[in-house]
Amino acid sequence: MYDLTNTVAGLNFSALPQTLTNGILNGAIYALIALGYTMVYGVLRLINFAHGEVFMLGAYVALLTSYALGYGPAASGDPTNPLLSLAIMLLLSMTICAIIGVLIERFAYRPLRSQPRIASLITAIGVSLLLQYGGALFLPVSPPPSIKETVNPPEFRKPVTIVLTQPDEKITQTIADLKPAYEEAKQKWEAQKKIEKDEFELTPEGEAIRSEFQEKERAYSGAVREADTSSNKIIVPTGKLIMLSTSMFLMVILWYLVTRTRAGRAMRAVSHDFDSAALMGVDVNKIVTLTFVIGSSLAGAGAMMLASFQGTPLTTFFGLQPGVKAFVAAVLGGIGNIPGAVLGGLLMGVAEDMVIWAGYSEYKDAVALVILIIVLLFRPGGILGSSKVEKV
Amino acid sequence: MFFLKRFGSIAIGLLVCLAIDAIAGGMDDFSRRLIILAGLYVTLSVSLNLINGITGQFSMGHAAFYQVGAYASGYFAVTFYGKIPWLTGPMWIIAMMGVSAIAAAIAGLIVGLPSLRLKGDYLGIVTLGFGEIIRIIVQNQEVIGGSYGMNVQPKFPVLFGGTGTSGVWMVWVLAFICIAVCRNLLKTVHGLPFLAVREDEVASSAMGVNVTKMKVIAFLIGSSFAGAAGALLAHYEGFLTPTMFTMDVSFIILTMVVLGGTGSITGSALAAAVLFYLPEKLRDLPPVPVAYIAGGIVSVLLMVSVMKRISITYHGPKGKGALLYFGTFFGAAALSFVLGLILSAVPSIAQMEAIEANRLRMVIFAGTLIILMLLRPQGVLGHHEFSWTWVRRVLGIKNRPSKAVSA
Repeated sequence: MYDLTNTVAGLNFSALPQTLTNGILNGAIYALIALGYTMVYGVLRLINFAHGEVFMLGAYVALLTSYALGYGPAASGDPTNPLLSLAIMLLLSMTICAIIGVLIERFAYRPLRSQPRIASLITAIGVSLLLQYGGALFLPVSPPPSIKETVNPPEFRKPVTIVLTQPDEKITQTIADLKPAYEEAKQKWEAQKKIEKDEFELTPEGEAIRSEFQEKERAYSGAVREADTSSNKIIVPTGKLIMLSTSMFLMVILWYLVTRTRAGRAMRAVSHDFDSAALMGVDVNKIVTLTFVIGSSLAGAGAMMLASFQGTPLTTFFGLQPGVKAFVAAVLGGIGNIPGAVLGGLLMGVAEDMVIWAGYSEYKDAVALVILIIVLLFRPGGILGSSKVEKV
Repeated sequence: MFFLKRFGSIAIGLLVCLAIDAIAGGMDDFSRRLIILAGLYVTLSVSLNLINGITGQFSMGHAAFYQVGAYASGYFAVTFYGKIPWLTGPMWIIAMMGVSAIAAAIAGLIVGLPSLRLKGDYLGIVTLGFGEIIRIIVQNQEVIGGSYGMNVQPKFPVLFGGTGTSGVWMVWVLAFICIAVCRNLLKTVHGLPFLAVREDEVASSAMGVNVTKMKVIAFLIGSSFAGAAGALLAHYEGFLTPTMFTMDVSFIILTMVVLGGTGSITGSALAAAVLFYLPEKLRDLPPVPVAYIAGGIVSVLLMVSVMKRISITYHGPKGKGALLYFGTFFGAAALSFVLGLILSAVPSIAQMEAIEANRLRMVIFAGTLIILMLLRPQGVLGHHEFSWTWVRRVLGIKNRPSKAVSA
């Protein structure tokens, strides 16, 4: 039996702000991918299973671009113009992903538009399998390559630390008190180490010095750890902050596009009623293409940022997990609803990091699906969506 | 007459199973393995067809039931085998199939309950999620081996004494039972409500069909057959890992159902056998040069577009249409060969390393899926069943005129 009180007490509440921050940073990427799912579903009522694979291809485009720009596996030395190369990688990923998305729509989904939805769904699964296994024939897969860290300028790699609450004064005092004695013992031991012949066969004198040093070190590091847990701070890698701001920038552009432009109005009309919009003179095919361009390029941007700021090793199955999670995020926020996708993505990221924080990291991938099932059972339309009542 | 026919068909079914067993007994291990797995996939796809095609509940997590069944029987075998004296050989397998069927049926009940509230895509997503959740849970349970896998003893060949009967008949008996249950359900009055639910839920409930009950029953029957197949898998492989039941497996089963024709029992059974065999047989091919792959892709694209055009514009007699299709097909095959020859003359392409056919397996599977969906979205057999009348009609043999009814 689990002791519930122990489990609750075992949680490290001072790590909560850090957990939430990590969750939001991850969630931003999920939100970017979820936007693609939600827009396609909104317009075509189709779950685009191949979207995760478009994401994967975006990461590969970024990788190959970085190779072409001189960050290949054999390259060494400092980058010449890192910001420019990052921008090129971003733009290329977005462009090529958009092209791939449009091609998929044109050749796999459009011929089936008048058929039952299950046919398009199976085709989507087929396209996704084709890209996963077909990509493995031509793309570098083993050993899993990753974008070199040197793509990021050194200032992007430094973490930003935000201290929320200082550690307890008493503990700081204890640390200050313990420090001189610890330093002294450490120096003594370092000096003794040079005299000793072998670290495993110490002289009695050396043994005494070592045990004293170990004792001091234990006390000191214990105090430091205590100070660490009693203070609240958030450490964010600068690269991830750039990731977050870029995604937010892209989302704002999307919001402007959808709510303030002619094409956006047409898109909303098509998503409201496909046939009526066509009757009203909206070029439906153009709008669907536009939807795929936007959704896929957002996925490409997300993939490029995830691959280069996180340095994740790439395989052709790279898009599977983020794809599923982003899809859950889209459903969570109400599929077809653009603010809903962003909200769902952020919630998804936070929920995932909370599960890791609670110590169940092996269930990290299941939490998305559990949330999905609960949401669908109790609020089938999602958080921001509305559920329709079927009429005869 | 009716019972004669029925007993006759049962006897023929059993004989076919024994014949398969006898044929497989003389084969090498790999071919026997293919026959066994093909039988399991036939069971899986026909049982999913009951949920997806016949009742119209879009379920995408069939691998979950398969997994529940496999692990249930595996766990039982590890704990109880040898403790009950009279349960040996086939009896043990039958008992395990029962246990697995019950375990999977409970899982099916749990999945079936949300189906009361959800429909269409949403139900598909939930079942898919359910499948993944079960896999992740199994992966983290130390009792059943976690991600390292579980060793199931005794193995299938041991149970059947190694030589003589290979136990293949067991797999095919299950497949035939599954087909018979589904077929008989559809031929009797008990099966009509399932079809009614598929066609229109609101209308059928207005006509007095208990929609909830029908959906749950479909899930129960479908999942219990998948569970029984899982029991056979566990005892045949002798080893279970959660990676054997990923999302891909669910997709493959779903593909078999849809390609065979949703709602067509024979369609899904045939599609299961063919779709399982084709990719496995590709392993034997020699490495394929890149030039031929490129030629193949071009000619397949051409074939698809030409066939699409034929199906839209051609309205002539049926026989000629079929000839057009076949002509396109073989023309494309010849074109791919010629293109391959031409492209291999280009030095830069010819120098590329040939790709092993093994790695092309899933690519061809996916390609077949897309092409068939584009050309025939309702599946190869559609809603039709295979029947001898149909064969006669295709072959051009006229049916015997039915006896004139005297007034």
